Amino acid sequence: MHIPDGYLSPQTYVPLYGASFVFWSIALKKLKKELSTKHVPYLAMAAAFSFLIQMFNIPIPGGTTGHAVGAGIIALLLGPWTAVIAVSVVLIIQAIVFGDGGITAIGANCFNMAVVIPFVSYGVFRLMSGNSKSGKRVSIAAFLSGYAGLTLSAFVTGLQFGIQPMIATGADGRPLYAPYPLEVALPAMVLEHLLLFGIVEGVVTVLLLRYFLKNETDMIYALSVKGS
Amino acid sequence: MENKIPDFLLERTSSETYARVRGKLKTSFIEKSIYHLADVIRTGYVQWETASRNDFLQKVDARVKVLFLLFYAVIISLKRDLVSESLIGSFIFLLAVISRLDIIVLYRRVIFWSFIFGFLIAFPSAFNIITQGEIIVPVARFSKSYSFWIYHVPQEIGITRQGMLGVLMLTSRVMNSLALSFLVLSTTSLPEIVRALKVLRVPDSFLMIIALSYKYIFIFARTVEDLYLAKKSRLAVQASNAEARRWIAGRIAFIFRKTRLRCEEIFKAMLSRGFADTVRIYRFRRLTALDWSTGICFFIIGILFLWI
Repeated sequence: MHIPDGYLSPQTYVPLYGASFVFWSIALKKLKKELSTKHVPYLAMAAAFSFLIQMFNIPIPGGTTGHAVGAGIIALLLGPWTAVIAVSVVLIIQAIVFGDGGITAIGANCFNMAVVIPFVSYGVFRLMSGNSKSGKRVSIAAFLSGYAGLTLSAFVTGLQFGIQPMIATGADGRPLYAPYPLEVALPAMVLEHLLLFGIVEGVVTVLLLRYFLKNETDMIYALSVKGS
Repeated sequence: MENKIPDFLLERTSSETYARVRGKLKTSFIEKSIYHLADVIRTGYVQWETASRNDFLQKVDARVKVLFLLFYAVIISLKRDLVSESLIGSFIFLLAVISRLDIIVLYRRVIFWSFIFGFLIAFPSAFNIITQGEIIVPVARFSKSYSFWIYHVPQEIGITRQGMLGVLMLTSRVMNSLALSFLVLSTTSLPEIVRALKVLRVPDSFLMIIALSYKYIFIFARTVEDLYLAKKSRLAVQASNAEARRWIAGRIAFIFRKTRLRCEEIFKAMLSRGFADTVRIYRFRRLTALDWSTGICFFIIGILFLWI
């Protein structure tokens, strides 16, 4: 899902930097107001947790393993605005230290994974779980929140790839950036997430949420907000 | 230059000793996680080690290098021909040589990822199904062309000149961007890069969050690695996949609790040191003649790359 440098034209990555910047500013302002002086260590630890969640390889049916992006479950546990900053910090560190994702694509990657996933996941969970605080309905809501968040993020990424041949071509008509048109980029990105990665994300979200429901319900932001 | 970290510490040992049994847990989830975690820790240490040397780019101020990284990343993304990309690639290579980085290690990583993210992903677009144009390598010929919904398969399928040029362009752009990033990363430590982001007017509190989380990622990565090693040492019989998933969910929750606790401890430590709601990154040292001359050279060469 991490977009490397070279795939997005400046017409795409500059506005996405702008969009991410707007979300970062709102999130920082909101969290500073809510948490006061504690916001720095709180967000730093949230970011560390967000990074570490990706380190856990989970056995999935079929004999293979996969890891979750974790942005959805972080939104449920800590709230969507905290997830915006936590996942963005992780993506920046991944781009700077590990070369995962491009420098010019940091804005796009943050928008796709640190903005789209947390808000979609959180919204889907709140909508699907209704007033329930435990039970099957909450589990289904958790699965759908992880699944929908990642799949929609893949859709947005596919859209960004797919519009490149329309907005940036050379004099001879060849695409200058991501070469696949919408009718190829969109199904390629969405189908694999609909059929595989989305399910892994959904399963991880359910597993974690169920663990917290059983042992530490008060730590789940999405449920504590509901109760207040 | 010889790496100061002893070779045996950089070696990757394999201890996959468990058999594959259908429907039962393979240890691969443990092995993969340990490998992944070890790689994170290793990357951090190797980067810190190469960045602390006293060679050309290592001596240049991080602010100059951050601006160089951003300026050149934009230049690479703007160039539309292979000649310009080759010239930029040669310039980055030259900088890596005079900074005495291990060229083989650096470029092995660059080439591997460029092949995956550049060539392999883009190669199907070289066919005339995706990119129309003059066919230079015919691959197959059907009796007639086929159309399905919005998709069209032409009678003759082959690699087009325009498609191949596009693939090479994308690959060279990905390769240059990666080489540039790894060059700056190998000559600058992350805390320095984070501090240098101040020149881009990134708020101090955001920089502090990045610096703090980076530090704790390594501390917690060790904790997670220990969790996996402990699990591996206790695993006498095979466990089911469901059991493994429950164990992982428990460990993630454990790490979550630990980060929450550590947050409290850090906050108390900050208060005890007189923290009063204002995050202020320390002032930078004055730029030296080397920093200025390198910065000006990078700027002029960058403008030349933009112009050609």
